[in-house]
Amino acid sequence: MTPTAAKTLRATVASVPGALSLAVFLVICATALAAPILGLPDPADMAFALYQPPSAEHWLGTDNFGRDILSRVVWGAQVALTVAVGAALLSILIGSALGAIAGYFGGWVDGLLSRVFDIFLLIPTFFLILLIVALFGASLPLTIVAIALTTWPRSARLMRSQVLTLKSRVYVQAALAAGAPHWWVIVRHVIPNGIAPIITDGTILMGMAILTEAGLSFLGLGDQNLVSWGSMIFEGQRHLRLAPWMSIAPGVALLLLVASLNLLGDSINFAMNPQLRTRGGAPKRRATTAPPAGETAPAADTPILEVDDLRLVYHAGARRIAAVDGVSFTLPRGGSLGIVGESGCGKSSLGSALLQTMPNNAELTSGTIRFDGRAIVLGGKPVVENGRSRIDALRWTRMATIFQSAMNALNPVTTVRRQMMDALRLHKPGISREEATARIAEVFAMIGIPASRMNAYPHQLSGGMRQRAMIALSLILEPELVIADEPTTALDMLIQDQILGEIADLRERLNLSLILVSHDMGAVAESCDVVAVMYAGRIVEIAPTQRIFGNPAHPYTRTLIGALPSLTGPLEELESLPATDTAAAAAATGCRFAHACPAATDLCRRAAPPAVPLGAGHVSECHYAEDFAAEPSSEPHAAPAAAKEARA
Amino acid sequence: MRLLRYFLFRLLQMFPIALFIVVINFALIHLAPGDVSILLAGEGADPEYMQSIRESYGLDRPLHEQLGAYLGQILQGDLGLSFRTREPVIDIIAERIPATLLLAGTALVLASIAGVAIGAVMARRPGSALDTAVTTLSISLFSIPVFWLGLMLILLFAVTLRWLPSSGMVSIAGPREGLGFVLDVVRHMILPVTALAAVWLGQYVRLSRASVSETLAEPYVTTARAIGFPERRVMTRFALRNAMLPIVTVLGLELGLLLSGAVLTETVFSWPGLGRLIYEAILSRDTPVIMGAFLIMSFTVMLAALLTDLLYAALDPRVRL
Repeated sequence: MTPTAAKTLRATVASVPGALSLAVFLVICATALAAPILGLPDPADMAFALYQPPSAEHWLGTDNFGRDILSRVVWGAQVALTVAVGAALLSILIGSALGAIAGYFGGWVDGLLSRVFDIFLLIPTFFLILLIVALFGASLPLTIVAIALTTWPRSARLMRSQVLTLKSRVYVQAALAAGAPHWWVIVRHVIPNGIAPIITDGTILMGMAILTEAGLSFLGLGDQNLVSWGSMIFEGQRHLRLAPWMSIAPGVALLLLVASLNLLGDSINFAMNPQLRTRGGAPKRRATTAPPAGETAPAADTPILEVDDLRLVYHAGARRIAAVDGVSFTLPRGGSLGIVGESGCGKSSLGSALLQTMPNNAELTSGTIRFDGRAIVLGGKPVVENGRSRIDALRWTRMATIFQSAMNALNPVTTVRRQMMDALRLHKPGISREEATARIAEVFAMIGIPASRMNAYPHQLSGGMRQRAMIALSLILEPELVIADEPTTALDMLIQDQILGEIADLRERLNLSLILVSHDMGAVAESCDVVAVMYAGRIVEIAPTQRIFGNPAHPYTRTLIGALPSLTGPLEELESLPATDTAAAAAATGCRFAHACPAATDLCRRAAPPAVPLGAGHVSECHYAEDFAAEPSSEPHAAPAAAKEARA
Repeated sequence: MRLLRYFLFRLLQMFPIALFIVVINFALIHLAPGDVSILLAGEGADPEYMQSIRESYGLDRPLHEQLGAYLGQILQGDLGLSFRTREPVIDIIAERIPATLLLAGTALVLASIAGVAIGAVMARRPGSALDTAVTTLSISLFSIPVFWLGLMLILLFAVTLRWLPSSGMVSIAGPREGLGFVLDVVRHMILPVTALAAVWLGQYVRLSRASVSETLAEPYVTTARAIGFPERRVMTRFALRNAMLPIVTVLGLELGLLLSGAVLTETVFSWPGLGRLIYEAILSRDTPVIMGAFLIMSFTVMLAALLTDLLYAALDPRVRL
């Protein structure tokens, strides 16, 4: 057994339905196999009194011919399992082969086969099987073949999509380059790697096959020479009033076997994709807190946003991942702050914490957020005043957000205009339709979306236009603070530049305060006064933009700037960062960046660096911040640390 | 305009499928053991009728001409005569369709509405104990052989408790018009509709649970929450509205499965619909009726799939040619 298969099996058995269904299935299999040695009477032997209810002698009673029902149910399990295994195997065999061929060769072969798969999906298979069995005569092998012949497109479609993703993999390409023939590559490399979801589907197929056979037998098209549960119910139906036990027992057996197979398939599926079980969901109810005493009315110079020691933890199974680990900053009214860092550094988690739109497995463990001098989060808990959460009162009217629109941030089935209308009327219930339309037109004109595109659906807009629509949506209620989370990612460079320029321009015109979250140093440089660099859940350096580019005082900032391609300067060798396991870095005792820092010393690995103030709002969490700050950014990084070592 | 073009395009696509189904039928008749004319006429048909069948289907001519003749017959709506009653198969089937539509339609509406609602509620608390329990229960529900569930309902409510009739669509001496008639039919419908709807309910709960939980994880739902829409509206306007798309697709794909459930249920409850007709035809080896029913069922499923496609296109503005 391969390691993944073993892991999947363990995860399957770990869930209650998984363990239970596997146990029931194995017990039924064992009973069916052991049928000859259980000492039961012959299932066809009409040796007993007719219509006997269940008793100590006949646990499940006897039927209209005086046959022992328990014995017939046990032998019937053999038939059911034969149908299940036979039909599923045959179906998967045909399906995988044709699916693999379609996916592997593509082109007209794929076109033709895919068309056939689709047609089969539209044929009512049960009736086709019924017709086949009715025309050719009822027999078990024929039933099995008929089921397989009508269900194979299920496996074929699965295998085809598996192969489409597999065939570009390196090992497949390598095998081909080494001269292996196509059929060998398919059999040796493609099918074994793509078979997992097909096997999962196999349990569902087995359940379907059993129910199909039972249905046929119940209609009188069962194999006359065999004991099948379906035909037992078929016979029991006529004696329902006299001997109900004749139909109860085989039905319960059918239900147990089919349910165990379906549940098993479901559990394996969940074990392979654990997020299926927990993703989505409504926001969970979180503990709230009352507003703090002694809050003063905001003054003109009250910062629009103050964040103090904010901590956000994700729960993933038993693991706790500290994505935001003690972040503090202040954003003055009308100011703009860029938050940069590589993916996984916690910058988007920080954004979601500010808006209180975190997923359910995220939790704020501490920290205060103040908006315009009033606490909206206190000690990690949302502040509730007069039965309403303060953040809810700010939503969109004072604080809005721009999401990355390439990722379905706009509702795909509603026109852009309608979405703006809905937001507007939600917060201004009294607004007339004309006023609302005028406001929408105004914002569209401001953003530069032609009025003719107002009634477009998101998918009908280009990437740049869609992003502009998202910006328009965020500005519709004239908020004071806008949080933009990767607003230009996935757009091409030229459009990125345009959009960033427009955001900067709007900010000035509307006196907006802006937080721009980005992985791109260049993007924030253009539109922000202050830049905060995040690494492994902490702001490791924060400074006015000019200063952070001129005198970066943290080695991580230096690598980020080094990774920024310059369009005007000479082409230099780009520095690239080693991949970071942020969770591991956050758990380290010393400096979080020490493991990847070119200038790390023993001190760095031993002790977490303090926040070193460097004047003019420049703070860096590095033991050697002052030395780094003294060096302009173009100097080699290792120098200051080495110099300090030498002086010591 | 967009919908009309889409509809016509999909309609065109149905022709090869319909042809394929007819060819399968034709191939099966010729591959099956025994004389083709007996299969077409039914066992024990009188020699004159047998001869007329041979002529109208061109059974003495080469295979491709026979296929042409067969296609011609079907295009004219001629599915042959039932060997049992000597009536045209198409008439017998048409007569039975309303009863099946009533039974299956009612069960489908009940099961889909309840199933989608339950699934959506479960998707709000994914992974909770209740969610696991309901998922397990719904899987168990659609693992029940529908005909057996029907029998058990009869055993409990008709035989033991004597609350409801066990079979048929109307009482033998019951009223034939007015409210009394409607109530009589409703009483007869309760058990078969329950059996059928219970099994389908399992499917819809599962489908809706999966689909809604997927949409709840979409970015536009986060946008809606950030805007400040109340959770109820996020659920209906954003999550459910988008979740309907996969639900409708699967609904279209599983219609064949649904019909087979209806056939088995009708058999148990002696419901005078298509399913009961097929059962009777099997018992009396009335092959023309079985083949005719297969063709009509296939065309019904195709037509229903076409309507689902159209519904999908109406729901999703992204669908274009």
